Order: sequence, then C-alpha cells, then structure tokens
Amino acid sequence: MYRLILITRYLLKRRITHFAIAAVALCVFTVVVVMTVMIGLVGGFKEKNHAFVGDCVVGTESLVGFPYYEEFMTLVEHSGLVQGVSPVVKSYALYGTEITDNYDNVEIVGVDPVRHSQVTNFAQTLDFNGHQPQKAFVPTYDANLPGCILGINRVSRPDPRGQYVHYDAPFRASVTLMCFPLNAMGALVGAGTNPTVTKRFYYSDDIHTGIAAVDFGYVFLPLDQAQLLCMSGQEKRINALYLKFRPNVGLQEGCRQIAELWRQFQADKAGAPNSFLLEGVNVQSWKEYRRAVVAPMEHEQLMLSMMFTLVGITTVFIVFVVFYMVVNSKKKDIGVLKSVGASNTGVLSLFQGFAFGVGLVGSCVGIFFGWLFLTRINQIEQFCYKHFGIQLWDRTVYVIGAIPNQVDPSALAVIMSCAILACLIGALVPSYLAVRLRPVETLHAGRM
Amino acid sequence: MLKLFLWLKYVRRRRIMLLSVVAVAVSVALLIAVASLFTGFIAAFEHSAVEAIGDIVMRAPDGVRFEKYPQFIQRLEQSNLVEAATASLTAEGLLRIEGGNVRPVAIWGIEPQSSARVIGLKDALICQGKAAGEPSFAVPDAPQETGGFVGIAVLTKPDEQTDQYDKEAVCKEMLNKRVVLMAGTMELDAKGERIPHRSTIPFRIVDIVFAGTYLLDSSLVYVPLDVLQKELYPRETSPVATSINIKLKPGTDPDRAVEQIRALWRTFATNELNWGPMAVGLTTIRTSRQMQRLYIAEFEKQKHVLEVTFGVISFSVVVLVFCIFHMMVKLKQKDIAIVKSCGAANSSVIGLFVGFGVSIGVAGSGLGAALGYAITRNINEIEGWISILFGLKLWRSSVYMFSHIPNQVDWNSALLFAALAMAAATVGALLPAVAAARTRPVEVLRHE
Repeated sequence: MYRLILITRYLLKRRITHFAIAAVALCVFTVVVVMTVMIGLVGGFKEKNHAFVGDCVVGTESLVGFPYYEEFMTLVEHSGLVQGVSPVVKSYALYGTEITDNYDNVEIVGVDPVRHSQVTNFAQTLDFNGHQPQKAFVPTYDANLPGCILGINRVSRPDPRGQYVHYDAPFRASVTLMCFPLNAMGALVGAGTNPTVTKRFYYSDDIHTGIAAVDFGYVFLPLDQAQLLCMSGQEKRINALYLKFRPNVGLQEGCRQIAELWRQFQADKAGAPNSFLLEGVNVQSWKEYRRAVVAPMEHEQLMLSMMFTLVGITTVFIVFVVFYMVVNSKKKDIGVLKSVGASNTGVLSLFQGFAFGVGLVGSCVGIFFGWLFLTRINQIEQFCYKHFGIQLWDRTVYVIGAIPNQVDPSALAVIMSCAILACLIGALVPSYLAVRLRPVETLHAGRM
Repeated sequence: MLKLFLWLKYVRRRRIMLLSVVAVAVSVALLIAVASLFTGFIAAFEHSAVEAIGDIVMRAPDGVRFEKYPQFIQRLEQSNLVEAATASLTAEGLLRIEGGNVRPVAIWGIEPQSSARVIGLKDALICQGKAAGEPSFAVPDAPQETGGFVGIAVLTKPDEQTDQYDKEAVCKEMLNKRVVLMAGTMELDAKGERIPHRSTIPFRIVDIVFAGTYLLDSSLVYVPLDVLQKELYPRETSPVATSINIKLKPGTDPDRAVEQIRALWRTFATNELNWGPMAVGLTTIRTSRQMQRLYIAEFEKQKHVLEVTFGVISFSVVVLVFCIFHMMVKLKQKDIAIVKSCGAANSSVIGLFVGFGVSIGVAGSGLGAALGYAITRNINEIEGWISILFGLKLWRSSVYMFSHIPNQVDWNSALLFAALAMAAATVGALLPAVAAARTRPVEVLRHE
C-alpha cells in the first residue's frame, strides 16, 4: 500500500517526473503517428495485392504457359477447397494508340471477367461495369468490336489530390497491341517471316486497383483473345490459375492441399503431349506470389522501426537521469522505509512501479495526442496544400489516396509496452542504487 | 579558469554528465546518417541521369524526327559550350531472350563511339569497359551480323542473399547469344490513315551493361542507330534521330547552356530544316536535372519529413540536458553559494552553467559527427553484416535503384545538425542556470 501512495505522490508532486513523462509522451506520439501511417500504407498495399490475385496462384514464370488447365480447374472445383478459379494469360505487348507515333510496353492479362471477379476484386475495380463484369469487354459504343480494359492512368491522370476524371461512359478509342506469339516449345510462331502478331482492341472499361504497376501498365483482354495473341498450338494454354479459397479453408493449409492436387495431376499427365510444360508450374500463396512487390515495403517498415528503437534510447537516458535524481533526493525516505522494515524487494518494486507509472502515463498521453493528430491528419494536409502548397506525397507521383490514419490496437499495445519497458530499463540502475542504500548512513545526524 | 576547473570537476565526479554527451551524440549521428543517405541518394540519382543521357537532352516533338543532325551536332561542338554531342533513337520494345523468356525493354539506337564521349557507356560495359579502344557493336567472327548491348538485369537476377550479379556466369551464358527485339511505330498509309508498323531486329549480344542503376540495368538494350532507324522508319532516306544528347564543357552552367543551345537550335531548324516556330517551340531542350525534377523534389520532401520526425524526437535531448543540469544545480547548491558568497555575479553563475551546456553540446556534436561519419562511410559494410548476421537484406538495387548505398557525408547537413545540437544543449542548460543564479547563499550555507 505504501508503495502505491509513494508512487502517486512522486508522480504528482515531483515536477521533474513530469519531464520524464513529457519525453516518453513525445516519443510515443511520434512513433504512433509515423507507424500508423506506415502500417496503413503497408497493410493497404498488401490488401490490394491480395485482392488483386486471390488467395493462391498456380502458375509459371515462362510466357509459354502450360496446357490442360481446364482439367485441373475441374479437379480443384470438385475438391471443395475453393469458391472460385480464374485462368489467366500473362504476357508483354507493345501498346500503340491513335494519337501517338510510338509504342510502349504493357503487361497484358487475359481473363474471363466473370470467373476473375469471383476470385479477385476485379469487378469492384472496374470504372463502368462493376455491377456487370460479363460486359466489361463489350464497348458500349459498338458491341461488335473487341474490347479491352485499360489501367486508369492510360485514360485519365490524377489531379494533385489524387482524384481521376471519370466519364459517364467509355469514349471511342482503339489501341493496337503487338505480341510475340510462342508455341509450346517456346519458339516464335512464324519465325523467318515476321514473328509478331498485331491486333486492334477498343477501350471498353478502365481499372483502378491502387497498385501503380497495374494502373499504369496493364491492359486486360478477354482470355481467348489473349491466348490468340500470345500463344499458339494444339492445346490451349495459360500462365496462371488464380484461386479463392472457401472461408473455412486456411491459407497455408489450402495452398498445401492445392500443391498436393497439382503433384497428382502432373503425375497423371506424364506422357501427354507437351506435359513437360507442367514441370515449371509452382503453387504459391498470394504472399509468395507478390513477395517481390510487397517485401520492399515491409523492409521500409522494419528499417523505420529500427531507427525509432535507436532514438528511443534517449528516452531510456532521460528516465535514468530523472530516477537518479529522485533516488538522490529521496534518500531519507528510503532510509526511513528500510528502517521500519521495508525489504530490498519492496524498495526495488517501489521504484520499478514508479517507472511503470511514468511509462504508462507518458505513453497514454502520447497515444492520446497521436490519435488526436491522426484523426485530423488529412484535414491538416489539405489545409497545408491549400494555403502553402505542401503535400506529404504528390498524388500525381504516388498512387496514394488519403493518408492512412486507422490506429492499429495491436501496434499501440506494442508501442506502449516498449515505452514502459524503456522506462523500466532506465530506472533499473537508480532502483538498484536505492536498494543498496543503508539506513544507518542516510539517517545519521550529520545528514539530517 | 574557475569555470574550467568546475566543469572538469563536474564531469569527473558526476559521470551522469557523460550521458547527456552520449544522448546528443546519438541524435546528431542519426540525423547526419539519415540526411547523408538521402542527399547521397539524390546525388546518385542525378549523377546516374547524367551518366545515362548526358548533361542536356534535346527531344524532337512527338511524331517528328531530327534530320540533318550530324550538321547540328557539328555546330554544337564548334560552340564554346559543348564538349561532345551524339544522336540517339529511342523506342520501347520487347526482347525475346529464349523460349518463354520475353522482357519489356527500352531500346536505344546509338553510335557507340560518339555516345561514349557523352554518356558513361564504356564504363558500364562489362567486357569492353576493361578493354582498350572505343566501344563497338561489332560481332566477333561475324561482321555481317548486328550486335547489341543488353542490361544485366534484363538477362539475369541478382543473388537473393547478396544482391550481387554473377557477371562471369552471365557473360559466359549470354555473350554472342542471338536474341530478337520487337518494336513498333505508327505509319501513315496512302489514305492518310495511321497503321501499325512492327519491326523485329535479331541481334547478337556482344556486351552486357552494368551501370549499377537498376532502372537502367533492368531495361536498357543498345543497338546500332542505323539498324534501328532502318527498322523503325524504313521510309526515311537520310539519317534521323529522336534525341540529341549533349555533354557540356567542364564548368559550363547547364541552365544557361540550355538557353544558348535553344537559340542555336532555333536558327538551325528554321534555316536548315524549314521548321515552323511551333515545331521549334515543341522541341524540348532540358538539363538532365530538369528532367528528373519531379522525382528529385519528392525525394527531397521525404528527406525533410524524416528530418523533421527525427528532429522532433531529438527534442527530448533538450529535456535530458535540462534534467541533468537541474539535478546538478540541486546537488551543487553549496558550490554555487560559496562562489556567490565570494562575490561572483549572477551572470557569472549563469555563464558557468550555460558554458557547461555549450561544452556538452560541442562534445556531443563532435562525437555525434564522428559517429555519423563512421556510420555513413561504412553503411555498405554495416548492411552487409546485418545481412550475414540476421539474414536480412535491407538494401536491394531492385528496390532502391542503386547497387550500393550512397555513403558520402552531407557536410552541410552535418554542420547544421551539430549547430542545432549545441543550441539544444544550451537551451536545456539555460533554465537550471537561471535557477542556480537565483540561489541565495545565506539560505544554503546557514547550517554550516
């Protein structure tokens, strides 16, 4: 009981303690704000990538692709593991328009829009046909023309606030795509003459995923058109199957079972024409499949955390100094306590409890002000942009909408724990010095 | 003299003073390292642009090409501004390396000898960079065939753990390999309609480009200018180019040179090419820095955001110094009273403590600057050790563009942070110094 009374008294009466609380609060505030924004960006980016490819991908890096995918799709659909499967053709093409002389590179993705919408957020990201993805490749101005879906940056540019101009309906525009069609052996079709295929498509919709590479450089085509453009041969081929698991199927377990199904399927197909193409196919979870794009952002987050840990050392120093002062000025209290029977453990827990209190109050104050700042961070940015032309991110350069400001309770718990731990570490040596004090020395007349 | 004596005594007797030096040093070191990394990154970005495209680039308007460029280059080189200039033809394309391995690339048609005088081409070539003489597209033992240079990251991936390329292996596998390049342009047919024109250029890889900048290494393919021109614009009868890359004489201000080159171009295009004012005006002439301005502005903004964030946290250094000085003033009241009773003025007492604060700031800043220097200069080794010890590769060229972390110390920022740290230490010492000056000897010394 005496410990609680003393801790409360020290917290309220010792003004120097307030500096330690202020230092802890300052650090916690900064860390909460920066990490919330970072976690929001990384989490949002991961979520967008997850939504873009579904839960699991059975695919190959080779643009030659693999055959017999329809049989495997049937197998997977009957396994009870998935709620949707979407075959995908992925390749590169040269992209030309009616208004420019030059062609640029794009990544073309051939999909069945209905199937793809069952597996990914494809329909939700369409500008015009979100509610009827089956019509996504049908130009409204002429239903007989072959349609294509363009990344939104190919038809519109974001304003400085990141907003795109949206039209009521797709305007009439054609694009020309040139590809290297590959046969099952990986050889160019028509080699010796001109081994390329050129086809014109018409703008039927655009897609806004929030993933820069997709919004800038992707063109979606009907699956059969993409197969014609990029592949040739007896068996139809694709480059990947995107899968969405049923809600009761875990990611790792689902991927493991699909991998097992694939091994069996591959074994069954041994000896079939071009079955060697099945060998280069991997089964990956969305995390593995998109690791190359997601991992750098996770590293950024890690590096920022490491830097804040270094800065947090200063907080440990401040707590150390404050507690050193408190112990020095409270020698008589400690002497009295020990002379009336307080144990060494009791004195140690008194100062560690005090440190806990400093950490708790400091981190609560820091979190409160951090939360207050975060709830207004977008308004503050808008105000700064309106009056001073300052933006945290130029939205014409970065594919970032509003600044993420959703506080993550688990991150708060970690930050608070770290702040309290820093206080406990900072108070450790002064607490030990307090424990070693001898009442006879602190209470003798000369010192009184 | 008395001040110095007391400072030394305090430092010797009160080791806790060293904590403030350490805290100041940690903050200064961290800020210097962060600022240097960003400044180095921006400098490397600018340098890589100059190395890749020259000091100044002239671009023809869309759909128009520079004719008679050899004469214009001659005029440029005769001026007192330009050391060398070269023409280039650029396009995006697809490179089929083998089987299903097709990569999107940026094609540069160049004259290797003249290009080597303008851009850092020779140093970037793995094989010819070491050999004497100028770079060449000549295919050994097959002079009739077309040769080309390909970026190393187009052909292979770096090691997952070390992020290093196995140059020997890639040279062994890829040199002299026959690959096919595809590019496209729009042509006007007899009816005046734009029709796609596709070009395929088979060539042998005669060297591999390793510029150390991922953006270039992962996309560049160099082929002979005349070959690319013949394929892209077969109807052109005289040499044409889309860009003229210029290297300025040492000491020439690029921004002023742009204006003078613009005047030269206006005269040449009007008199020799019969271009109208509109076409002349649409020709872009910009320094490589101007071309990267948007990105550099964003990098600089991110640098400032990080500096402000760490600066706010480093404010806790002020709190720390305050706490330590407050403690010292409390503990040394008798010293102060004796000094004052011997006739020392209040200003002397303030001077004693503020001077001590400044000394702490100087020592901390000096130590921090040394630490920041050591960290920055050895950042690649530190990153290497982190990779070995924790298996965590923090820096990848595919993410941060460059194969090495910039390690040049930004001395301007270092001086600024050192000065700010000294100011922070002084501010932290100020209030306790005033409190010390207000000490009344009669109250402190009465028990004696």
